Amino acid sequence: MLKVEHVTKYYGDFCAVDDLSFEVKPGEIFGLLGVNGAGKTTTFRMIMGLLDITKGNITLDGEKIDYNVTDKIGFLTEERSLLTKLTVMEQAIFYGTLKSMSRQQIESRLDDLLEKFEVSEYKYKKIKELSKGNQQKIQFILAVLNKPKLLILDEPFSGLDPFNVEMFKKEIIEMSKEGSMIIFSSHRMEHVELFCKKLVILLHGKSVLAGELKKIKESYQKKNIVINGDVAVADLKDIKGVLEVKEEANDIVVKIASKEVVPAVFKVVSKKKNITKFVVEEPSLNEIFIEKVGESYDK
Amino acid sequence: MTSKLSFLTQTSLNRKIKTKWFVVVNIILAIAIIGIINIDSIITIFGGDFNKKQEVYVIDETNQVFDLFKTNVENTDISLNEKEETSFDIVKYDKTIEEAKEEMQEKDNLWLIVFEEDETTYLRASVISNGYIETLDYQIISQAITNAKTTIAIENSNISSSELEAIYAPATIERVILDEDKTTEGENSSMIMSVVFPVVILPFFMLSLFLVQMIGAEVNDEKSTRGMEIIISNVSPQTHFFSKVLAGNIFVLLQGFLLFAYGALGFLVRNLLGGSSITNGVGAYVGSLLDVFLQGGLGDKLIYIIPLALILIVLTFIAYSLLAGILASMTTNIEDFQQLQTPIILISLLGYYLALMSNMFHGSLLIRIISYVPFISAILSPSLLMVGQIGIIDVIISIILTIVTNYLLIKYGLRIYKVGILNYSSKDLWKKMFKAMKN
Repeated sequence: MLKVEHVTKYYGDFCAVDDLSFEVKPGEIFGLLGVNGAGKTTTFRMIMGLLDITKGNITLDGEKIDYNVTDKIGFLTEERSLLTKLTVMEQAIFYGTLKSMSRQQIESRLDDLLEKFEVSEYKYKKIKELSKGNQQKIQFILAVLNKPKLLILDEPFSGLDPFNVEMFKKEIIEMSKEGSMIIFSSHRMEHVELFCKKLVILLHGKSVLAGELKKIKESYQKKNIVINGDVAVADLKDIKGVLEVKEEANDIVVKIASKEVVPAVFKVVSKKKNITKFVVEEPSLNEIFIEKVGESYDK
Repeated sequence: MTSKLSFLTQTSLNRKIKTKWFVVVNIILAIAIIGIINIDSIITIFGGDFNKKQEVYVIDETNQVFDLFKTNVENTDISLNEKEETSFDIVKYDKTIEEAKEEMQEKDNLWLIVFEEDETTYLRASVISNGYIETLDYQIISQAITNAKTTIAIENSNISSSELEAIYAPATIERVILDEDKTTEGENSSMIMSVVFPVVILPFFMLSLFLVQMIGAEVNDEKSTRGMEIIISNVSPQTHFFSKVLAGNIFVLLQGFLLFAYGALGFLVRNLLGGSSITNGVGAYVGSLLDVFLQGGLGDKLIYIIPLALILIVLTFIAYSLLAGILASMTTNIEDFQQLQTPIILISLLGYYLALMSNMFHGSLLIRIISYVPFISAILSPSLLMVGQIGIIDVIISIILTIVTNYLLIKYGLRIYKVGILNYSSKDLWKKMFKAMKN
């Protein structure tokens, strides 16, 4: 289990992470969210031992994270961290050996992953000759090369098309099923919602929301009602407890202050003609994020 | 961690050696060095009028000068130009001056010398040629004429043959230097420095610059591609730092060894070819300088000069690589590093010029003090030791100071390196580095 306990990090007088705590158990996928500069990368770097912690404690299975346990960790940085002059094979041997893998283990695992990600033909190509998306695939392959117990993914989906995002998702879920602990940050809220059971939202280094996603959503008062039919927007706006009414494609989305407002909306809508849809939805993670952080995470 | 250090060192070394450019550059270097040493043989291979002798007609109206003149010219030519045979073909001419001049119109390579008796100056000579005569050749001829004249004058003075022999015998000169620290070879310092420069100073200067640039480029490459984060998350900054220092030093020592090997191969080829007596190549020049070196008693000194110089050179290479690694860790791209390495180049350049100038300022206290300064000492100290300007103790002081410098660079530099390699901002850079040093 990864335990982050009351961790604080100062850069001079600037507090980058303030008393952050969370736990990730084997098989869990954990989301670390926040706008740029919120302290996500600093947190990842502290977990990896790249930065000294000012205060607090980080342990993996009860042990302090140092160079004796880094072989069990996989790390994908936000920016490309590939030595572009090397071939994919050379790069894998380089990173794999640093993870104490034998050459045979590296080659065998690399072949499997290249095949899985449909990039076997790039094995002997130089990294710099690959497209941005393929470089990201190689970077991901290298991060999971050692079948890590703890996998840290900083913006793993950047630069990927939807088809490749699916490949990544499949592999991440598979790894979590095999017992890996996975922490990731993403700008794509739908991915966070899809993967993460637990998350932390950071604002200026502080945790503003933490816990299980399901409980967070349940505890969130505001709901959305999606309506399709001959309903005038003005009729809905006048209802007490309605916060906002928006037209999205063929639907009308009504934001309400709490689920107690639903009967009042239903009463108005039921009198209208051609009603084909009336769905009460949980708010999206992005809406919760905006509420808590004050700005959108989707950039 | 040791195996990761050896893996990183090996990988870093392979990136330098297992490249086509390393092979290409070394092939060019080998060809260039072997070629320069054997340049005379190469020139001969391409052909030319190297064996053509200088014809000299002599009209001797005194009937007593010709043999003396001929012997004198030939001996002087052989001894001055270190040849096995003379390049002058001196012939006694029986015809008239006018006939000789006519022949000279047809032959460019013909001179005429006319000897006449003179009542007051014993001998008068005319040197006639179609064009210019080279200064050295003219000096040989004029010297031989003067010698012939002296001989005639002595003979006319009724001096006995034994007295004549004593007059011509070279004077016995005993050279005594009262200062026991100074040797006669020290007087040949300019000659010695001309050997030390191409053999020690120039390769060291080139290799140290190469080392600094190589380590800087490699660290910056890993930093700018952010590969550094993955590397440092798996091995400690210390391991990474030492792998760069080790790989860089192994590489320059290997390259230095290869340069000497090419030089040795050049001399071997020269011996096989037998050299050329017609033109003097660098090989012949260095060969003659080495003779001066060994005859002057420096051969015995080399037994301790070479190990001391090697120790100092290796320690200085390590100092340069430590400094280059530290500076490279502080920069965020190769352009910044190139600017930051300028002071290192200037320090190295200072040593380079001081080594060259040390001969001009023999006994300079300032140069002696500067020879202790780490980074400069590897160039300056062995050079001054060879020409006898400093002693072994001075070199040992230089070695100790370089060891202390390396210790301090490792102790404080590693702290900077640890912070620097993961720093991508140039804001408050020096403040951050000084803070890192204190921690």
